[in-house]
Amino acid sequence: MKARSLAILILVAGASAAAGVGYHLWSRGGGTGSGMDTPEVVERVLRAQLADVKGTSRSLEQWRGSVLVVNYWATWCAPCREEIPVFVRLQERYGSRGLQFVGIAIDPPDPVAAFAREFRINYPLLLGGVEAIELLRQVGNRAGVLPYTLVIDRNGNLVSREPGGLKEARLERLIQPLL
Amino acid sequence: MRFVLILLLAFASLARAAEPELLEPDKAFRFAARLKDARSIEVTYQIAPGYYMYRDKFQFTLAPAGVKSGAPQLPPGRKHRDEFFGEVETYRGSLSILLPFELADAGQPALQLAAVSQGCADIGVCYVPHEQKAELQFASLAAGAARSDAAPGWLFGSGPAADDTSIARVFEGGFWLVVASFFGFGLLLSFTPCVLPMVPILSGVIVGSGRAVTKTKGFLLAAVYVLGMALTYAGAGVAAGLSGSMLSVALQSPWVLGAFALVFVALALAMFGLYELQMPVALQHRLADASNRFHGGHTVGVFVMGVLSALILGPCVAAPLAGALLYIGQSRDVVLGGSALFAMALGMGVPLLAVGASAGALMPKAGPWMETVKRSFGTVLLGMAIYLVSPFLTVPVQMFLWAALLIVTAIHLRAIDPLPATAHGFQRFSKGVGIIALIAGLAYLVGALSGGRDILQPLSGLRVTDSGGASSETPFERIGNVAELDERIRAAAGRTVMLDFYADWCVSCKEMERYTFSDERVRARFREMVLLQADVTANNAEDAALLKRFRLFGPPGIVFFDRDGREIQGLRVIGFQPADRFVPVLDQALGFRR
Repeated sequence: MKARSLAILILVAGASAAAGVGYHLWSRGGGTGSGMDTPEVVERVLRAQLADVKGTSRSLEQWRGSVLVVNYWATWCAPCREEIPVFVRLQERYGSRGLQFVGIAIDPPDPVAAFAREFRINYPLLLGGVEAIELLRQVGNRAGVLPYTLVIDRNGNLVSREPGGLKEARLERLIQPLL
Repeated sequence: MRFVLILLLAFASLARAAEPELLEPDKAFRFAARLKDARSIEVTYQIAPGYYMYRDKFQFTLAPAGVKSGAPQLPPGRKHRDEFFGEVETYRGSLSILLPFELADAGQPALQLAAVSQGCADIGVCYVPHEQKAELQFASLAAGAARSDAAPGWLFGSGPAADDTSIARVFEGGFWLVVASFFGFGLLLSFTPCVLPMVPILSGVIVGSGRAVTKTKGFLLAAVYVLGMALTYAGAGVAAGLSGSMLSVALQSPWVLGAFALVFVALALAMFGLYELQMPVALQHRLADASNRFHGGHTVGVFVMGVLSALILGPCVAAPLAGALLYIGQSRDVVLGGSALFAMALGMGVPLLAVGASAGALMPKAGPWMETVKRSFGTVLLGMAIYLVSPFLTVPVQMFLWAALLIVTAIHLRAIDPLPATAHGFQRFSKGVGIIALIAGLAYLVGALSGGRDILQPLSGLRVTDSGGASSETPFERIGNVAELDERIRAAAGRTVMLDFYADWCVSCKEMERYTFSDERVRARFREMVLLQADVTANNAEDAALLKRFRLFGPPGIVFFDRDGREIQGLRVIGFQPADRFVPVLDQALGFRR
């Protein structure tokens, strides 16, 4: 009797685990569509007018034709800061081959300037306000997650959208074929 | 077999709930605001486990312009070192912020609060500054207070999120309920098998052996003994309350509450007789010796005996007492802690007083029924465990746990065993209680499996789907762009217009449709309005223009227009609102005159 109830228990546990995993896969499969029009959104990202740390208004237009890595971040966002040294390294390594990092900080100018000095950031930083956040949501990042990184090839095609921290190896794998 | 299937489904839903997935910011940081009084707003955030908020990043803006907000009172956060900013304070669990304000013009019917906050998730992402809005009606001040008193919370009035230690608040709320509960708790404790048989012996010791005593003297001596015991317990309660207020930040963490819940479960198992729990025997003996040194019959001696006896915890009292102290520590309330434990000791002393007063005539007989009392304590402790962790569980999981507890208890009460024809009153009574527990448990189980949302109305999910299916969809007219919107508003001249932003991926929009729009009171008011809906699922340029016109980032968002076709400022509904809150908004929109 005891052995039998144990067997039933194990059966139930196994079956429910399988059901849980199955349900999860099923629910995840349905939820990834973003409903965005990619080329148009990239166009909007490239054309957006954003201030730099000194207050000058700039856009990403000037780097059109480069392999662009656009990184949304903030100084108060600890996971964002962790990947900055990786970006600095890769900018140094591949900058001459046409790779361009651009950081868009959801922040006031002062901490960004201080941070750029301290971490010797060797790529341009722009400041994102309400409009930039709205754009970020339109790119497919509805929850407004930081860090969020876009990889855009030389023809202006969106190659990848990366929510959360990026490992150096993964980013390198993403950009190398584009250079 | 059907039982196995149900179990399987329940486990599947549990497995899904445990799956870490990035939450939408509104879910990760659940925002609510209410008018605490005419001069301050209480803003609360329920921060999901694994998420945190920055203490120095909150921004509160009040509208209309005549309202000046004071400095928000932020509780201390959890400090940690940040390599770039130095010391940073963060919040986890539940957070309550008091926002004082000054009103220049007393005629305002309502305030609009916009709260901007910043937070992150442990899995390594942050959210962009997030704005959440609330509309605060002055008319709701009285009603709102009453509603929050009736908030869920079973035996004890205030929940673990009790955030205010001011005495005034305690007295207005569930204070006396808690004290009365503890008194009853104490009374029950005195009927456990390790306390009751001691009562005659104890009363002999108190009165002093071999002496003839009048009933009055017996009662007074017993009362002094009980008082000594009660004061000691009150001291323990105050200590628990104090330690609680020091540990308040730690106590908001799911880990700590989870650990407490485990302790409760362990204590419950002790009550079910799986093992014995008591103070180390050596310590017990030393205290017993000390109390024996005082001779009975003298008031001071009896008082000291009472004090000491409270420290000798019998195997039955230790577990529930530990539970009670944990609960008090959790509520972080010194006054409540002291009073509750005092009341509990008084309850425990009642049989002793009865024996003292009646000189031994009033004495219930010991028997197996005492084991039942002990076991019901175990059940109560398990309930406490569920209650403690419920802020961190989704409603279906909570319902499942309650269902499990109720059903297993019901089976123990022999709810489905046939009663013999000769069954006596108590057996019949306990079967009745068992059947109530069984049906309540089944209701919770059905609620958990059907995605019930309200712990007090487990089957409400079913009811809404049924009526929603029968009485057709809410008749919204779809609009596709700004021009169409303007045209419809013009065409609606003389009627109030409601514009609802919707998207397929918007969870709270669906909740709104299912739970709020289906409500009969809401439908009645809808019949007096023109209902427009903008489906922005595609998020194309026209959708973006529509959103931009109302400065919305995206759905959910409901905007109202008055009879002249102008937007009613400050009456927007952002995010899910239950019908109870949505109906007054509709009334205001309908009654709006410029």
